[in-house]
Amino acid sequence: MGNLILQLFKGLNFSVRIFFLTLLFSLPFGFVVAKGRMSKIAPVRWFTDLYIQIMRGTPLILQLLFFYFAPFYIFHASYDRFFAVILAYVLNYSAYFAEIYRSGLQSMDKGQYEASQVLGFTKAYTFFHVILPQVFKKILPSVGNEVVTLVKDTSLASTLGIAELFRVAQTSSSRVFSTTPIFIAGVFYFIMNYVVAKFFDIVERKLDYYE
Amino acid sequence: MSDIMINAQNVMKSFGDTEVLKDISFTLEKGHVLSIIGPSGSGKSTLLRILTQLETADGGSLDLVGKPLFKNVNGKAVYESAEKRRELNLKTGLVFQNFNLFPHFSVLRNITEAQRAVLKRSKDEAESKAIDLLKKMNLEDKANSYPCELSGGQKQRVSIARALAMDPEILFFDEPTSALDPELTLEVLKVIRGLAEEKMTMVVVTHEMNFAKGSSDEALFMDGGVIVEKGNPTELFDNPKEERLRRFLNTFNS
Repeated sequence: MGNLILQLFKGLNFSVRIFFLTLLFSLPFGFVVAKGRMSKIAPVRWFTDLYIQIMRGTPLILQLLFFYFAPFYIFHASYDRFFAVILAYVLNYSAYFAEIYRSGLQSMDKGQYEASQVLGFTKAYTFFHVILPQVFKKILPSVGNEVVTLVKDTSLASTLGIAELFRVAQTSSSRVFSTTPIFIAGVFYFIMNYVVAKFFDIVERKLDYYE
Repeated sequence: MSDIMINAQNVMKSFGDTEVLKDISFTLEKGHVLSIIGPSGSGKSTLLRILTQLETADGGSLDLVGKPLFKNVNGKAVYESAEKRRELNLKTGLVFQNFNLFPHFSVLRNITEAQRAVLKRSKDEAESKAIDLLKKMNLEDKANSYPCELSGGQKQRVSIARALAMDPEILFFDEPTSALDPELTLEVLKVIRGLAEEKMTMVVVTHEMNFAKGSSDEALFMDGGVIVEKGNPTELFDNPKEERLRRFLNTFNS
Protein backbone atom coordinates (compact mmCIF):
# COMPACT_ATOMS: atom_id res chain seq x y z
CA MET A 1 0.00 0.00 0.00
CA GLY A 2 2.82 2.39 0.92
CA ASN A 3 4.48 1.57 -2.35
CA LEU A 4 1.27 2.26 -4.24
CA ILE A 5 0.87 5.67 -2.62
CA LEU A 6 4.50 6.45 -3.45
CA GLN A 7 3.87 5.51 -7.09
CA LEU A 8 0.78 7.67 -7.21
CA PHE A 9 2.70 10.62 -5.78
CA LYS A 10 5.27 10.22 -8.56
CA GLY A 11 2.40 10.36 -11.05
CA LEU A 12 0.99 13.35 -9.24
CA ASN A 13 4.30 15.11 -9.71
CA PHE A 14 3.86 14.89 -13.49
CA SER A 15 0.25 16.01 -13.32
CA VAL A 16 1.19 19.04 -11.23
CA ARG A 17 4.00 19.92 -13.62
CA ILE A 18 1.64 19.78 -16.60
CA PHE A 19 -0.84 21.88 -14.64
CA PHE A 20 1.56 24.67 -13.70
CA LEU A 21 3.45 24.78 -17.00
CA THR A 22 0.14 25.03 -18.90
CA LEU A 23 -1.03 27.92 -16.73
CA LEU A 24 2.34 29.64 -16.82
CA PHE A 25 2.21 29.92 -20.60
CA SER A 26 -1.48 29.89 -21.49
CA LEU A 27 -2.61 32.62 -19.06
CA PRO A 28 -0.40 35.30 -20.70
CA PHE A 29 -0.59 33.84 -24.22
CA GLY A 30 -4.38 33.92 -24.00
CA PHE A 31 -4.08 37.70 -23.82
CA VAL A 32 -2.15 37.81 -27.06
CA VAL A 33 -4.81 35.61 -28.68
CA ALA A 34 -7.62 37.81 -27.29
CA LYS A 35 -5.91 40.89 -28.71
CA GLY A 36 -5.64 39.12 -32.07
CA ARG A 37 -9.30 38.19 -31.94
CA MET A 38 -10.18 41.87 -31.39
CA SER A 39 -7.61 43.18 -33.89
CA LYS A 40 -8.54 45.92 -36.33
CA ILE A 41 -6.67 44.02 -39.04
CA ALA A 42 -9.21 41.63 -40.57
CA PRO A 43 -6.84 38.76 -41.57
CA VAL A 44 -5.37 38.69 -38.03
CA ARG A 45 -8.90 38.49 -36.66
CA TRP A 46 -9.89 35.69 -39.06
CA PHE A 47 -6.78 33.66 -38.39
CA THR A 48 -7.17 33.98 -34.61
CA ASP A 49 -10.83 33.09 -34.85
CA LEU A 50 -10.03 29.97 -36.89
CA TYR A 51 -7.40 28.96 -34.35
CA ILE A 52 -9.86 29.37 -31.47
CA GLN A 53 -12.58 27.46 -33.33
CA ILE A 54 -10.25 24.53 -34.01
CA MET A 55 -8.96 24.40 -30.45
CA ARG A 56 -12.44 24.52 -28.98
CA GLY A 57 -14.09 22.46 -31.68
CA THR A 58 -11.92 19.34 -31.54
CA PRO A 59 -11.19 17.01 -28.62
CA LEU A 60 -8.10 17.78 -26.57
CA ILE A 61 -7.14 14.12 -26.70
CA LEU A 62 -7.02 14.35 -30.49
CA GLN A 63 -4.94 17.53 -30.31
CA LEU A 64 -2.47 15.74 -28.04
CA LEU A 65 -2.02 13.00 -30.61
CA PHE A 66 -1.73 15.55 -33.39
CA PHE A 67 0.99 17.58 -31.69
CA TYR A 68 2.94 14.46 -30.92
CA PHE A 69 2.67 12.70 -34.28
CA ALA A 70 2.37 15.59 -36.74
CA PRO A 71 6.06 16.60 -36.67
CA PHE A 72 7.00 13.03 -37.43
CA TYR A 73 4.70 12.70 -40.43
CA ILE A 74 5.39 16.18 -41.75
CA PHE A 75 9.11 16.66 -41.01
CA HIS A 76 10.17 13.09 -40.22
CA ALA A 77 11.41 14.39 -36.93
CA SER A 78 9.99 14.10 -33.48
CA TYR A 79 10.46 15.85 -30.20
CA ASP A 80 10.14 15.02 -26.58
CA ARG A 81 6.74 13.62 -25.61
CA PHE A 82 6.44 15.89 -22.61
CA PHE A 83 7.08 18.92 -24.83
CA ALA A 84 4.28 17.83 -27.17
CA VAL A 85 1.96 17.50 -24.21
CA ILE A 86 2.73 21.00 -22.88
CA LEU A 87 2.44 22.50 -26.38
CA ALA A 88 -1.00 20.95 -26.89
CA TYR A 89 -2.28 22.02 -23.48
CA VAL A 90 -0.94 25.56 -23.81
CA LEU A 91 -2.44 26.07 -27.27
CA ASN A 92 -5.76 24.57 -26.21
CA TYR A 93 -6.09 26.49 -22.96
CA SER A 94 -4.91 29.76 -24.50
CA ALA A 95 -7.92 29.59 -26.83
CA TYR A 96 -10.31 29.21 -23.89
CA PHE A 97 -8.61 31.91 -21.82
CA ALA A 98 -8.60 34.22 -24.85
CA GLU A 99 -12.38 34.01 -25.11
CA ILE A 100 -12.75 34.70 -21.39
CA TYR A 101 -10.42 37.72 -21.60
CA ARG A 102 -12.26 38.99 -24.65
CA SER A 103 -15.63 38.80 -22.93
CA GLY A 104 -14.14 40.65 -19.94
CA LEU A 105 -12.54 43.38 -22.04
CA GLN A 106 -15.65 43.88 -24.14
CA SER A 107 -17.90 44.15 -21.11
CA MET A 108 -15.93 47.15 -19.84
CA ASP A 109 -17.94 50.35 -19.84
CA LYS A 110 -16.51 52.74 -22.43
CA GLY A 111 -16.97 55.52 -19.89
CA GLN A 112 -13.93 54.15 -18.05
CA TYR A 113 -11.78 54.71 -21.16
CA GLU A 114 -13.30 58.16 -21.70
CA ALA A 115 -12.79 59.29 -18.11
CA SER A 116 -9.17 58.10 -18.33
CA GLN A 117 -8.62 59.94 -21.58
CA VAL A 118 -10.11 63.18 -20.28
CA LEU A 119 -7.91 62.99 -17.18
CA GLY A 120 -4.84 62.59 -19.39
CA PHE A 121 -3.84 58.98 -18.69
CA THR A 122 -1.84 57.37 -21.46
CA LYS A 123 -3.33 54.33 -23.20
CA ALA A 124 -0.92 51.99 -21.43
CA TYR A 125 -1.62 53.54 -18.03
CA THR A 126 -5.36 53.25 -18.65
CA PHE A 127 -5.02 49.60 -19.59
CA PHE A 128 -2.87 48.53 -16.66
CA HIS A 129 -4.35 50.67 -13.89
CA VAL A 130 -7.97 51.19 -14.86
CA ILE A 131 -9.09 48.42 -17.21
CA LEU A 132 -7.05 45.36 -16.26
CA PRO A 133 -7.84 45.36 -12.51
CA GLN A 134 -11.56 45.55 -13.26
CA VAL A 135 -11.42 42.91 -16.00
CA PHE A 136 -9.47 40.65 -13.65
CA LYS A 137 -12.26 40.78 -11.10
CA LYS A 138 -14.94 40.18 -13.72
CA ILE A 139 -13.33 37.14 -15.30
CA LEU A 140 -12.06 35.49 -12.14
CA PRO A 141 -14.99 33.02 -11.78
CA SER A 142 -14.70 31.92 -15.42
CA VAL A 143 -10.94 31.52 -15.16
CA GLY A 144 -11.44 29.50 -11.96
CA ASN A 145 -13.78 27.21 -13.84
CA GLU A 146 -11.20 26.60 -16.58
CA VAL A 147 -8.45 25.94 -14.06
CA VAL A 148 -10.57 23.30 -12.32
CA THR A 149 -11.14 21.65 -15.70
CA LEU A 150 -7.41 21.72 -16.38
CA VAL A 151 -6.69 19.72 -13.22
CA LYS A 152 -8.90 16.94 -14.57
CA ASP A 153 -7.68 17.35 -18.16
CA THR A 154 -4.09 16.58 -17.15
CA SER A 155 -5.22 12.95 -17.07
CA LEU A 156 -5.49 13.01 -20.87
CA ALA A 157 -1.69 13.16 -21.09
CA SER A 158 -1.82 9.42 -20.36
CA THR A 159 -2.75 8.99 -24.04
CA LEU A 160 0.84 9.79 -24.96
CA GLY A 161 2.18 7.49 -22.29
CA ILE A 162 3.16 10.20 -19.83
CA ALA A 163 3.32 8.61 -16.41
CA GLU A 164 1.03 11.09 -14.75
CA LEU A 165 -1.41 10.31 -11.97
CA PHE A 166 -4.14 8.66 -14.02
CA ARG A 167 -1.75 6.51 -16.04
CA VAL A 168 0.05 5.33 -12.91
CA ALA A 169 -3.26 4.52 -11.26
CA GLN A 170 -4.41 2.58 -14.30
CA THR A 171 -1.22 0.52 -14.53
CA SER A 172 -1.18 -0.23 -10.82
CA SER A 173 -4.81 -1.17 -11.03
CA SER A 174 -4.25 -3.83 -13.69
CA ARG A 175 -1.14 -5.09 -11.88
CA VAL A 176 -2.92 -5.67 -8.56
CA PHE A 177 -6.34 -6.59 -10.06
CA SER A 178 -8.07 -3.90 -8.02
CA THR A 179 -9.79 -0.58 -8.63
CA THR A 180 -8.36 0.85 -5.41
CA PRO A 181 -5.52 2.78 -7.14
CA ILE A 182 -8.01 4.45 -9.49
CA PHE A 183 -10.22 5.35 -6.57
CA ILE A 184 -7.27 6.87 -4.70
CA ALA A 185 -6.33 8.85 -7.84
CA GLY A 186 -9.86 10.18 -7.86
CA VAL A 187 -9.41 11.38 -4.29
CA PHE A 188 -6.14 13.07 -5.33
CA TYR A 189 -7.87 14.96 -8.17
CA PHE A 190 -10.65 15.96 -5.83
CA ILE A 191 -8.24 17.32 -3.22
CA MET A 192 -6.29 19.28 -5.86
CA ASN A 193 -9.45 20.87 -7.15
CA TYR A 194 -10.64 21.59 -3.65
CA VAL A 195 -7.43 23.58 -3.11
CA VAL A 196 -7.86 25.34 -6.48
CA ALA A 197 -11.47 26.25 -5.73
CA LYS A 198 -10.59 27.55 -2.26
CA PHE A 199 -7.76 29.60 -3.74
CA PHE A 200 -10.15 31.29 -6.19
CA ASP A 201 -12.67 31.82 -3.38
CA ILE A 202 -10.07 33.69 -1.36
CA VAL A 203 -8.99 35.87 -4.27
CA GLU A 204 -12.61 36.66 -5.11
CA ARG A 205 -13.29 37.63 -1.53
CA LYS A 206 -10.21 39.85 -1.48
CA LEU A 207 -11.66 41.76 -4.44
CA ASP A 208 -15.06 42.06 -2.84
CA TYR A 209 -14.39 45.55 -1.53
CA TYR A 210 -15.90 47.15 -4.64
CA GLU A 211 -18.66 46.51 -7.13
CA MET B 1 -9.95 93.07 -23.37
CA SER B 2 -11.51 89.99 -21.95
CA ASP B 3 -9.97 86.59 -22.48
CA ILE B 4 -11.79 84.35 -24.91
CA MET B 5 -11.63 80.78 -23.55
CA ILE B 6 -13.55 79.08 -26.33
CA ASN B 7 -13.73 80.25 -29.90
CA ALA B 8 -15.55 77.79 -32.15
CA GLN B 9 -16.09 78.70 -35.79
CA ASN B 10 -18.15 76.70 -38.28
CA VAL B 11 -17.59 73.41 -36.47
CA MET B 12 -19.01 70.43 -38.37
CA LYS B 13 -19.35 66.76 -37.61
CA SER B 14 -20.98 63.83 -39.39
CA PHE B 15 -21.45 60.22 -38.43
CA GLY B 16 -21.64 58.46 -41.78
CA ASP B 17 -24.26 60.30 -43.78
CA THR B 18 -25.81 61.96 -40.74
CA GLU B 19 -24.75 65.54 -40.14
CA VAL B 20 -24.78 65.85 -36.37
CA LEU B 21 -23.28 69.32 -36.19
CA LYS B 22 -23.73 71.87 -38.97
CA ASP B 23 -21.82 75.09 -38.78
CA ILE B 24 -21.54 75.66 -35.03
CA SER B 25 -20.00 79.00 -34.02
CA PHE B 26 -19.81 80.56 -30.58
CA THR B 27 -17.38 82.12 -28.13
CA LEU B 28 -17.10 82.02 -24.37
CA GLU B 29 -15.33 84.52 -22.13
CA LYS B 30 -13.20 83.67 -19.15
CA GLY B 31 -15.21 83.29 -15.96
CA HIS B 32 -18.50 82.86 -17.77
CA VAL B 33 -20.92 79.98 -17.53
CA LEU B 34 -22.58 78.79 -20.72
CA SER B 35 -25.62 76.52 -20.64
CA ILE B 36 -26.40 74.45 -23.70
CA ILE B 37 -30.00 73.31 -23.95
CA GLY B 38 -31.92 71.43 -26.61
CA PRO B 39 -33.83 68.23 -27.28
CA SER B 40 -32.03 64.90 -27.37
CA GLY B 41 -30.31 64.27 -30.66
CA SER B 42 -29.76 67.99 -31.18
CA GLY B 43 -25.98 67.52 -31.20
CA LYS B 44 -25.20 69.15 -27.86
CA SER B 45 -23.42 66.13 -26.44
CA THR B 46 -21.41 65.69 -29.62
CA LEU B 47 -20.36 69.32 -29.42
CA LEU B 48 -19.20 68.79 -25.84
CA ARG B 49 -17.31 65.67 -26.89
CA ILE B 50 -15.50 67.64 -29.60
CA LEU B 51 -14.59 70.36 -27.09
CA THR B 52 -13.15 67.70 -24.76
CA GLN B 53 -11.46 65.75 -27.56
CA LEU B 54 -13.51 62.59 -27.16
CA GLU B 55 -14.61 63.08 -30.77
CA THR B 56 -12.88 64.75 -33.68
CA ALA B 57 -14.57 67.41 -35.77
CA ASP B 58 -14.76 67.16 -39.56
CA GLY B 59 -14.72 70.85 -40.32
CA GLY B 60 -14.29 74.31 -38.83
CA SER B 61 -11.86 75.68 -36.28
CA LEU B 62 -11.61 75.69 -32.52
CA ASP B 63 -9.43 77.65 -30.11
CA LEU B 64 -9.38 76.73 -26.44
CA VAL B 65 -7.69 78.96 -23.85
CA GLY B 66 -6.43 81.09 -26.73
CA LYS B 67 -4.67 78.21 -28.46
CA PRO B 68 -5.83 76.33 -31.56
CA LEU B 69 -7.03 72.74 -31.25
CA PHE B 70 -7.91 72.45 -34.92
CA LYS B 71 -7.95 74.83 -37.85
CA ASN B 72 -10.09 75.10 -40.91
CA VAL B 73 -8.07 74.19 -44.01
CA ASN B 74 -10.16 74.12 -47.19
CA GLY B 75 -13.28 73.26 -45.23
CA LYS B 76 -11.62 70.44 -43.32
CA ALA B 77 -10.66 70.42 -39.65
CA VAL B 78 -6.91 69.94 -39.34
CA TYR B 79 -5.82 69.07 -35.83
CA GLU B 80 -2.69 70.28 -34.05
CA SER B 81 0.13 67.89 -33.06
CA ALA B 82 -0.50 65.23 -30.43
CA GLU B 83 1.61 67.22 -27.98
CA LYS B 84 -0.49 70.36 -28.36
CA ARG B 85 -3.72 68.39 -28.21
CA ARG B 86 -2.56 66.86 -24.97
CA GLU B 87 -1.64 70.26 -23.56
CA LEU B 88 -5.18 71.47 -24.24
CA ASN B 89 -6.64 68.23 -22.93
CA LEU B 90 -5.02 69.01 -19.57
CA LYS B 91 -6.56 72.47 -19.52
CA THR B 92 -10.07 71.09 -19.87
CA GLY B 93 -12.06 68.89 -17.51
CA LEU B 94 -15.24 66.93 -18.08
CA VAL B 95 -17.92 65.76 -15.69
CA PHE B 96 -19.98 62.92 -17.13
CA GLN B 97 -23.67 62.21 -16.86
CA ASN B 98 -23.04 58.80 -15.32
CA PHE B 99 -19.99 59.86 -13.31
CA ASN B 100 -17.53 57.28 -14.66
CA LEU B 101 -15.70 57.08 -11.37
CA PHE B 102 -13.11 54.32 -11.09
CA PRO B 103 -14.97 51.68 -9.04
CA HIS B 104 -11.83 49.88 -7.88
CA PHE B 105 -10.28 53.02 -6.37
CA SER B 106 -11.32 54.68 -3.12
CA VAL B 107 -12.83 58.16 -3.34
CA LEU B 108 -9.48 59.65 -2.35
CA ARG B 109 -7.59 57.69 -4.98
CA ASN B 110 -10.13 58.61 -7.65
CA ILE B 111 -9.08 62.20 -7.03
CA THR B 112 -5.33 61.65 -6.57
CA GLU B 113 -4.60 59.11 -9.33
CA ALA B 114 -4.43 61.52 -12.27
CA GLN B 115 -2.71 64.21 -10.22
CA ARG B 116 0.07 61.75 -9.51
CA ALA B 117 0.23 59.83 -12.80
CA VAL B 118 -0.32 62.75 -15.15
CA LEU B 119 0.73 65.92 -13.31
CA LYS B 120 3.46 64.06 -11.36
CA ARG B 121 2.46 65.61 -8.06
CA SER B 122 3.79 64.04 -4.88
CA LYS B 123 1.53 61.78 -2.83
CA ASP B 124 1.23 64.39 -0.06
CA GLU B 125 0.49 67.21 -2.44
CA ALA B 126 -2.14 65.20 -4.34
CA GLU B 127 -3.79 64.02 -1.15
CA SER B 128 -3.94 67.42 0.49
CA LYS B 129 -5.46 68.82 -2.70
CA ALA B 130 -7.99 65.98 -2.75
CA ILE B 131 -8.91 66.49 0.92
CA ASP B 132 -9.41 70.22 0.33
CA LEU B 133 -11.72 69.47 -2.59
CA LEU B 134 -13.63 66.86 -0.62
CA LYS B 135 -14.16 69.41 2.14
CA LYS B 136 -15.46 71.83 -0.43
CA MET B 137 -17.83 69.14 -1.70
CA ASN B 138 -18.88 68.38 1.88
CA LEU B 139 -17.59 64.83 1.52
CA GLU B 140 -14.49 64.76 3.69
CA ASP B 141 -15.80 61.77 5.64
CA LYS B 142 -16.04 59.73 2.42
CA ALA B 143 -12.34 59.82 1.48
CA ASN B 144 -11.86 56.13 2.20
CA SER B 145 -15.19 54.94 0.85
CA TYR B 146 -15.58 53.25 -2.52
CA PRO B 147 -17.84 54.69 -5.23
CA CYS B 148 -20.33 51.82 -4.81
CA GLU B 149 -20.98 53.03 -1.26
CA LEU B 150 -22.05 56.52 -2.36
CA SER B 151 -25.35 57.99 -3.49
CA GLY B 152 -25.64 59.36 -7.02
CA GLY B 153 -25.29 62.92 -5.83
CA GLN B 154 -22.20 62.06 -3.81
CA LYS B 155 -20.69 60.23 -6.79
CA GLN B 156 -21.24 63.25 -8.98
CA ARG B 157 -19.62 65.55 -6.42
CA VAL B 158 -16.61 63.21 -6.26
CA SER B 159 -16.38 63.30 -10.03
CA ILE B 160 -16.45 67.11 -9.94
CA ALA B 161 -13.66 67.01 -7.36
CA ARG B 162 -11.73 64.59 -9.57
CA ALA B 163 -11.98 67.01 -12.50
CA LEU B 164 -11.12 70.08 -10.38
CA ALA B 165 -8.04 68.38 -8.93
CA MET B 166 -6.40 68.74 -12.34
CA ASP B 167 -6.81 72.55 -12.18
CA PRO B 168 -8.66 72.83 -15.49
CA GLU B 169 -9.16 76.26 -17.02
CA ILE B 170 -12.48 75.23 -18.53
CA LEU B 171 -14.81 72.69 -16.96
CA PHE B 172 -17.41 70.91 -19.06
CA PHE B 173 -20.51 69.14 -17.74
CA ASP B 174 -22.46 66.64 -19.81
CA GLU B 175 -25.96 66.56 -18.30
CA PRO B 176 -24.51 66.29 -14.78
CA THR B 177 -27.85 65.76 -13.07
CA SER B 178 -29.73 63.64 -15.62
CA ALA B 179 -28.88 60.38 -13.84
CA LEU B 180 -29.92 61.74 -10.44
CA ASP B 181 -33.10 61.76 -8.40
CA PRO B 182 -34.63 65.25 -8.05
CA GLU B 183 -33.55 65.67 -4.42
CA LEU B 184 -29.96 64.78 -5.33
CA THR B 185 -29.98 67.11 -8.31
CA LEU B 186 -30.07 70.13 -6.01
CA GLU B 187 -26.89 69.24 -4.11
CA VAL B 188 -24.98 68.91 -7.38
CA LEU B 189 -26.38 72.12 -8.85
CA LYS B 190 -25.42 73.91 -5.65
CA VAL B 191 -21.81 72.85 -6.16
CA ILE B 192 -21.85 74.03 -9.78
CA ARG B 193 -23.34 77.37 -8.70
CA GLY B 194 -20.58 77.69 -6.11
CA LEU B 195 -17.99 77.21 -8.84
CA ALA B 196 -19.73 79.84 -10.96
CA GLU B 197 -19.40 82.31 -8.08
CA GLU B 198 -15.67 81.58 -8.02
CA LYS B 199 -15.60 82.55 -11.69
CA MET B 200 -14.78 79.13 -13.03
CA THR B 201 -15.27 79.03 -16.80
CA MET B 202 -17.88 76.35 -17.43
CA VAL B 203 -19.99 74.86 -20.18
CA VAL B 204 -23.00 72.91 -18.96
CA VAL B 205 -25.18 70.75 -21.18
CA THR B 206 -28.35 70.53 -19.16
CA HIS B 207 -32.05 69.82 -18.99
CA GLU B 208 -32.36 71.88 -15.79
CA MET B 209 -34.04 74.97 -17.17
CA ASN B 210 -34.00 76.80 -13.84
CA PHE B 211 -30.28 76.32 -13.62
CA ALA B 212 -29.74 77.42 -17.23
CA LYS B 213 -31.84 80.51 -16.69
CA GLY B 214 -30.75 81.46 -13.20
CA SER B 215 -27.10 80.46 -12.99
CA SER B 216 -25.53 80.95 -16.38
CA ASP B 217 -24.20 84.05 -18.10
CA GLU B 218 -25.04 82.80 -21.55
CA ALA B 219 -27.35 80.20 -23.00
CA LEU B 220 -27.42 78.45 -26.27
CA PHE B 221 -30.30 76.47 -27.76
CA MET B 222 -29.44 73.72 -30.22
CA ASP B 223 -31.72 71.72 -32.44
CA GLY B 224 -30.98 69.53 -35.43
CA GLY B 225 -27.24 70.19 -35.27
CA VAL B 226 -27.42 73.98 -35.41
CA ILE B 227 -27.49 76.77 -32.85
CA VAL B 228 -31.02 78.05 -33.17
CA GLU B 229 -30.73 80.85 -30.66
CA LYS B 230 -28.11 82.13 -28.26
CA GLY B 231 -27.67 84.98 -25.87
CA ASN B 232 -28.49 86.21 -22.41
CA PRO B 233 -30.39 83.43 -20.58
CA THR B 234 -33.11 85.66 -19.15
CA GLU B 235 -33.75 87.06 -22.61
CA LEU B 236 -33.68 83.59 -24.16
CA PHE B 237 -36.15 82.11 -21.68
CA ASP B 238 -38.50 85.06 -21.31
CA ASN B 239 -38.56 86.25 -24.91
CA PRO B 240 -37.68 83.35 -27.17
CA LYS B 241 -37.55 84.63 -30.74
CA GLU B 242 -37.52 81.31 -32.51
CA GLU B 243 -40.59 79.13 -32.77
CA ARG B 244 -38.53 75.97 -32.17
CA LEU B 245 -37.19 77.31 -28.87
CA ARG B 246 -40.68 78.39 -27.81
CA ARG B 247 -42.01 74.90 -28.44
CA PHE B 248 -39.07 73.35 -26.63
CA LEU B 249 -39.57 75.55 -23.58
CA ASN B 250 -43.27 74.78 -23.55
CA THR B 251 -42.56 71.09 -23.10
CA PHE B 252 -41.05 71.95 -19.70
CA ASN B 253 -44.03 73.98 -18.59
CA SER B 254 -46.70 71.41 -19.35
